[in-house]
Amino acid sequence: MSVDAGTRPPRRGVPLIDGVEKVTGRARYTADLDHAGALVGRILRSPVSHGEIVGLDVSAARNLEGVAAVVTGDDCPYTYGVLPIAMNEYPLARGRVRYRGEPIAAVAAVDAETAQRALELIELKIRELPAYYTPAEARAPDAILLHDNKPGNVEREVHHQFGDIDVGFAAADLVREETFSCAEINHAQIEPHASLSEFDPLTGRLTVQTVSQVGYYLHLMLARCLDMDTSRIRVIKPFIGGGFGARVEALNFEIVTALLARAANGKVLMELSREETFITHRARPHTDIRLKLGMSKTGRMTACELQVVQRGGAYAGYGIITILYAGSLLHGIYDIPAAKYDGYRVYANLPPCGAMRGHGSVDTRHAFETLVDRMARELGLDPFAVRRANLLHAPTRTVNDLVVNSYGLPECLDRVERASGWKERIGRLPPGKGLGMACSHYVSGAAKPIHFTGEPHAVVHLKLDFDGGVTALTGAADIGQGSSTMVAIAVAETLDVSLDRVRVVSADTAVTPKDNGAYSSRITFMVGNAAIDAARKLKELLIATAARKLEARPEDVECENETFRVGHGEQSALRFADVVAAALVNEGAITVKGAFTCPPDAQGGKHRGGAVGSTMGFSYAAQVVEVSVDDATGQVSVDKVWVALDCGRAINPLAVEGQMQGSVWMGMGQALSEETRYLDGLPAHASMLEYRMPTIMDSPPIETHIVESYDPNGPMGAKEASEGALAGFPPALVNAIANAIGIDLNELPATPDRIMDALIERRRKARLSRALKAAS
Amino acid sequence: MSTLLPTFRLAAPRTVAEAIAARRDHPAARFVAGGTDLLVNMRRGISSPDVLIDLSGIDALTEFRIDDNGVTIGAGVTIAALARHEVIAARYRALAQAAASIAGPGHRAMGTVGGNLCLDTRCIYYNQSEWWRHANAYCLKNRGDTCHVAPQGQRCHAAFSGDLAPALLVLGAEIDVLGEQGLRRLPLSQLYIEDGKAHLALADGELITAVRLPPAPPASAYAKIRTRAAIDFPLAGVAVALATSGPAIASLDVALTGTNSRPFLLAGTDALAGRAIDDKLLAEVDRLVQKQVQPMRTTLTSANYRRVAAAALARRLIADLRPA
Repeated sequence: MSVDAGTRPPRRGVPLIDGVEKVTGRARYTADLDHAGALVGRILRSPVSHGEIVGLDVSAARNLEGVAAVVTGDDCPYTYGVLPIAMNEYPLARGRVRYRGEPIAAVAAVDAETAQRALELIELKIRELPAYYTPAEARAPDAILLHDNKPGNVEREVHHQFGDIDVGFAAADLVREETFSCAEINHAQIEPHASLSEFDPLTGRLTVQTVSQVGYYLHLMLARCLDMDTSRIRVIKPFIGGGFGARVEALNFEIVTALLARAANGKVLMELSREETFITHRARPHTDIRLKLGMSKTGRMTACELQVVQRGGAYAGYGIITILYAGSLLHGIYDIPAAKYDGYRVYANLPPCGAMRGHGSVDTRHAFETLVDRMARELGLDPFAVRRANLLHAPTRTVNDLVVNSYGLPECLDRVERASGWKERIGRLPPGKGLGMACSHYVSGAAKPIHFTGEPHAVVHLKLDFDGGVTALTGAADIGQGSSTMVAIAVAETLDVSLDRVRVVSADTAVTPKDNGAYSSRITFMVGNAAIDAARKLKELLIATAARKLEARPEDVECENETFRVGHGEQSALRFADVVAAALVNEGAITVKGAFTCPPDAQGGKHRGGAVGSTMGFSYAAQVVEVSVDDATGQVSVDKVWVALDCGRAINPLAVEGQMQGSVWMGMGQALSEETRYLDGLPAHASMLEYRMPTIMDSPPIETHIVESYDPNGPMGAKEASEGALAGFPPALVNAIANAIGIDLNELPATPDRIMDALIERRRKARLSRALKAAS
Repeated sequence: MSTLLPTFRLAAPRTVAEAIAARRDHPAARFVAGGTDLLVNMRRGISSPDVLIDLSGIDALTEFRIDDNGVTIGAGVTIAALARHEVIAARYRALAQAAASIAGPGHRAMGTVGGNLCLDTRCIYYNQSEWWRHANAYCLKNRGDTCHVAPQGQRCHAAFSGDLAPALLVLGAEIDVLGEQGLRRLPLSQLYIEDGKAHLALADGELITAVRLPPAPPASAYAKIRTRAAIDFPLAGVAVALATSGPAIASLDVALTGTNSRPFLLAGTDALAGRAIDDKLLAEVDRLVQKQVQPMRTTLTSANYRRVAAAALARRLIADLRPA
């Protein structure tokens, strides 16, 4: 790792504060929690893709000895979902099933064998309906509707136009249009889904411990679906084995487990199999893209026309947000003078898609960066030069009204160009070897939250008590990304106390202030700022106390390294413990609150859907990928990656480096080998064997470069660091393959069979053109 | 959806004779060694034997002997032990390469030579959960009456995916098989049948106890195609053994796995003896492979790719084994 020193020295990297518990195996994940006395929950799932439930008899299951509860759609007449305007899903199907694997009923029994037997005793009759597995089938004029209020099976159409594209295309020296197809993928987080729910019939309280990234949203949906008062519910997040968006909405099994616990008046542990975890899905949809770009001879973009069709699966989920992001995040990275976007989110009889790392931006970015590269090649321009010809100049607003306050992309380009030896090596590599590059960006949280309540975007409480310990209470869910460590650092540094004086308690709705959750990379920016705000208030209070004791004015008191003093006077120095003791006199334990709110001018344009994509700050990344392609077998190996990320300021460079590597690696999975595959709606990929996540044997060295642009509003200048470097990998890979063997791939992932098909097609065309030449 | 291992009793014989006797006493029992194949299928409800006969406590099965007569490898020798054996790496390179390429380190530590030779055939319609197969009306190989890969056909097309078999085939391996009728020795090629539902020519209750290799094999190599560089079963795997006399072929054997319901020796390579190893020869081998492999839609990767890639591997391995 190298950090660009800029004007300030790089910060010191700190191991994650919960790292030791994880690597020693002490950390308790949901399935490891104490479930003594818990019943075992199991779910009956639809065997068909689309149908009407005409019979559901659970009496035999209910009568089986050892069965404590059986629940069906009759037990929950309430829908749930992400957006208040698009909640069209029941935790257990009512009347209709829309994908294979959709939950229909659930049992809680004394053990797994009994639960399994009970499922087998449930009598289910379904009248099958036609099923649609592609947007084209679902949009056909005679297709029946999955949801009656969505004509054409289109969940949402988006039509945006900014600037005059006709003028732009007319001014272009080169206009090119291509279609791209990106396979559906899954988060494949290592921890399978699990949930532990306990209902206490005496107090009427429900306690849920679960894998959620969004305890607050789950809390709301539990109250809605169980028709309970929110105050009787507590949601606790244990350690989490990865999220990546898989748990960024309330999930059916979490609500089902709670329904079972209430029906059984007890405790229920639901552990989903890997297959069920895949079926729960909520990941990146299959996306078809048509992209048209206009470019001047110098590489300046003149206009852009983008059409995106996403196969969203059977329910709304995050769909509306995803299709909006796919258009809005076309912007915010380059200066595009005119752009038209048409997006279609289409229902299909498959597991619902949702948010996944790089939400909405990745497939659009893939098409864009790939086409830009091809046009540069056609114009005889260097890939770096063409990107440099279209840079933004911060501070600015994009054509679709996104605010850009800090912009380290130029530096990112310089860094990876230099580090990879691009200038010296491009075009001079041996046969079968190639270099490719691409850029990407991502939001540091949505400036306008999904559930608009008027509350601040983040609130952090700090508690200081007799022991001198500072406890930070935050609803922010640490899902492995290091957010609790970030909060600890922000608090410790603002107070100038040692890091281990700060303890972070996170994501327990009975204890911690509400937080919207771990998604769209919002935590560092929003919770970080709230934590600093809280720490400043606490510091002010301690300085006032010290000033009283030192008989000085507060502005003359300095606090450094847990010591308060006036000027350099050693005699008058006060230790942290003394100041705390003095501060507690008459007051007792101290609690302060910090908050952060995004200013309205950052919350996006006035057009419909304009809030999506709006953010306080974009991270920026550039990467170079070096590949070797075997043209006999179509196999690609990634030899090395150089990646630079502008994260504003790396609060914890060690964690930033890990997140950069993780982003690149996840992008590599999508680019090389990962895809979901359904056979008549049955997931054929639903295991770690058939879902081909790269192994360590496929993983190249990833050289990381941190670029620091000091965002004016970021905590210590920081922006997000966990997603921005993902979307650049797939196009950089495809560009590198083109550089290596001259094959332009328009499909992801770049599996050996796809590359072989392209090679065979090229040979066929070459033969044909030779034959034509010979004939003429 | 269940991933519960069905209830079974475990028999733990100390000798092969006890193992054979246990199988006689429990006709529905299955032998288990490393369990990396069988237990996965049991969790998926594909098979639920009432008794498992654990072979891991039988010392005789872990024999690994090298002498003038060649090499004897007990069926219970682990894949990992085989992969790291110096003599194997030096003289039977295809076998060492095949062993090292199997699955991941955990599987290699548990999996055995006998288990890999008897690996169940695989198919995307078969290696799925009970819920999945039930929703799909099962298949010809398990509880159903239709092969979803070739619905018009009469047989199961599940593919054999063991890596050791092709390497052992080109190295001229024989196997010892023990059953109620005593011990028999047969060429490895006679173990396999082109039928995904019944691909092993073992009588009921028979057990492979050892693999025997001749002492002076020709130069050999193994390679396989898969999407990832570890874990995955071969989409196509190719072993080659090549003896040369000057620039000409003295003997050439090619064996394939992953493409058919059995691993098999490529026919027609005898006729190539005496030929120089040039592009023309490699093109002929390519054609032989493409003609004889029969990949079907048993994997998510297309059958045609597996055919073309198998041929490409064969060409490459032969070219690489060609004396400089």
